[in-house]
Amino acid sequence: MVRPFAFFRAGARADSRAAQRPILVFDGVFKYFREDQPTLKDVYLEVERGEFAFITGPSGAGKSTLLQLVYRKHTVDQGRILFCGRDIARLTDKSIPFLRRNLGIVFQDFKVIPHWTVFENVAIALEILAMPRRLVRSRVAEALERVGLAGRGQERTESLSGGEQQRVAVARAIVTEPALILADEPTGNLDPHLAIDILTLFEEINDTGTTVLFATHDHSLIASRDHRIVSIDEGRVIEARTGLRSWHGAVGGPGVAAVG
Amino acid sequence: MMARARRGLREELRLYLVAVTSLSVAFLCVGGALLATTNLSAVAERWGESGRMSIYLRDGARAEDVAQLRMVLEGLPEVGSVESLSSEDARGLFLEHSEVSSDLASLPAEVFPPSLEVAIAEGTPIQRVDAISDRVGRFRAVSDVETYRSFFDRLGSLVSAGTNLALVLGLLVALCVFAVIGNTIRLAVARRRSEIEVMKLCGATDNFVRGPFVLEGTFQGAMSAVLAVLALGVLFSTVRSSIDASLAELMGTRAVFLDAWMLVALIAAGAIAGAAGSALSLRRYLTV
Repeated sequence: MVRPFAFFRAGARADSRAAQRPILVFDGVFKYFREDQPTLKDVYLEVERGEFAFITGPSGAGKSTLLQLVYRKHTVDQGRILFCGRDIARLTDKSIPFLRRNLGIVFQDFKVIPHWTVFENVAIALEILAMPRRLVRSRVAEALERVGLAGRGQERTESLSGGEQQRVAVARAIVTEPALILADEPTGNLDPHLAIDILTLFEEINDTGTTVLFATHDHSLIASRDHRIVSIDEGRVIEARTGLRSWHGAVGGPGVAAVG
Repeated sequence: MMARARRGLREELRLYLVAVTSLSVAFLCVGGALLATTNLSAVAERWGESGRMSIYLRDGARAEDVAQLRMVLEGLPEVGSVESLSSEDARGLFLEHSEVSSDLASLPAEVFPPSLEVAIAEGTPIQRVDAISDRVGRFRAVSDVETYRSFFDRLGSLVSAGTNLALVLGLLVALCVFAVIGNTIRLAVARRRSEIEVMKLCGATDNFVRGPFVLEGTFQGAMSAVLAVLALGVLFSTVRSSIDASLAELMGTRAVFLDAWMLVALIAAGAIAGAAGSALSLRRYLTV
C-alpha cells in the first residue's frame, strides 16, 4: 500500500523499525474532564497492524474519548499514546494536521458537508494533501467504487440516504490510504441492515491491510463477527479478547481477565 | 484556494451581498468624511496662501505721498496688484455689496476713507504680510492698515475644527467598518463551521482552512470600498455643478474629489480590513 504522505510533519523520514511495532499503544493513559472522576483510568492497550478491533462499552464509558485521544482532539493527562512508535501526546499543535493525515476518521453523524457533491466531500481529504487534480479524480473514483458509490460523484450529498452518506464519509476516510481508521459509532444512526453493510465495508477495508478501530455499543453487531473486542467501562479497559468466543466467555463470567 | 474561495462566495452569495451593501454604506461614510476633510483642507490652504490688505489713507493725504507709497508697494515682490479706491468708490462698493437700507444709503462719501487695495501674491507667509503692514503703517499718508488677519484666523480655526471633526468621524466610522466586517464574516464562518471541522479532521492546517476565508473577506472589503467610491463619485458629480459656483465666490476655491492615492488607499484599507476581520473571526473555529 502506498502512503506517500509525510508522517506527522513535512520532511519526516519513515522509520523502517516501525513496521515491527504495534501500530497503536496506550501506555498507562489517564484522561480527566473532571478532577475527581477520570474518564479514562490507567489504560493499557496494544493494537497490531492490520487488526480489526471493536471498542465497546456502555454510553459514557469513554469509547469516544479513547478515539479522540488518538486523533488529538484531546490530550492525555497522564501516560502516553504511541502511534507508529511516536508519542501523540508530545506532538506540537502544528504537527496535529500531519498526524490526522495518517488517520481516517468516521463519525456517527457522518460529518459530510450536505451542500457539497459526493466528489467534493471525498476530494477534500486529497486537496488538503495538495495532490494534483488528475490524481484526485482517479483516487476519488477508486474510493467511491470501493464503498459502492461508483458514478455518483456529482450528486449532492444531502440527496443521499443516511447509509449512503456514511459511505461517503468512509470513502473520505480511506481515500488517503491511512494507516489506521477510527470509526466512532459509525452505525449509530443507521438501521440494523445498513449497520451490517457498513460493518462489512470496514471489514473489506481491513482486508487490504488497514487497521480499524470500530467503536460501538451495539452488541448484536459485535456478536455477528469474530473480531477482537476491547471493552471499556467507567474509564477502564476491563477486558480485551480476540474473537467472538472470548466475548461470549467474558459476558458469561469465566475467562475474564482485566487488562487495564 | 481560489476555487474554494469562489465556491464560498457562490454558496453564501445572499449573505455576502447584504454584507457588501452594508459595508458600502459604511465606506461611503468614511469616503464622505475624507471628502469633507479634503475640501476643508483645500479651503484652509487657499486662505493660508492668499491675502488682501487695505491701506486707509489720511484725510487730505498729499498726492505725491500716496504716489510714493504706491511706488514702494508695487516694488515689493509679494504684492500682486495695487488699486486706488476713492471715498466715492468705497461708498459705492459698500452700498452695492451690503444690501443696506435706504437710511444708510444717504451716508456722505466722507464717511468712507480713501484706500489702496493691495492683493498679496499667493503663497506669501503671514509673517511677511505682517512685516509689510508694519512698514506701510509708518508712511505719513497712511491712517490705518487692515490685513484681515483676525478674520482669517477665525475662519482658519473654524476650518481646522471642521477638519478635526471630519477626521474623528472618519475614525469612528472606520472602527464601525471593522466591526461590521468582522461580524459579517463571523456569521459566514459560523454557518460553515462544519466545513472547517471536516477539513481540520482530515488534516488541514490552519492556513489551508484560513486561506479561502481571508480571500473572501479581502474581496468583500475591497468590493465594498469600490462600490462606496463609485457611489461617492456619482453623488459628487451630481452636486458639484450646483455648489461649485457659490463655493468659488464665497471661499475662492472649487470643490475637489479625493485624489487617486486616497482612492487606492480607501480600497486597500477595505481589503485589509476584510482580510483581518476574516482571520480574526476564524480563530475560535480552528481549534478542532
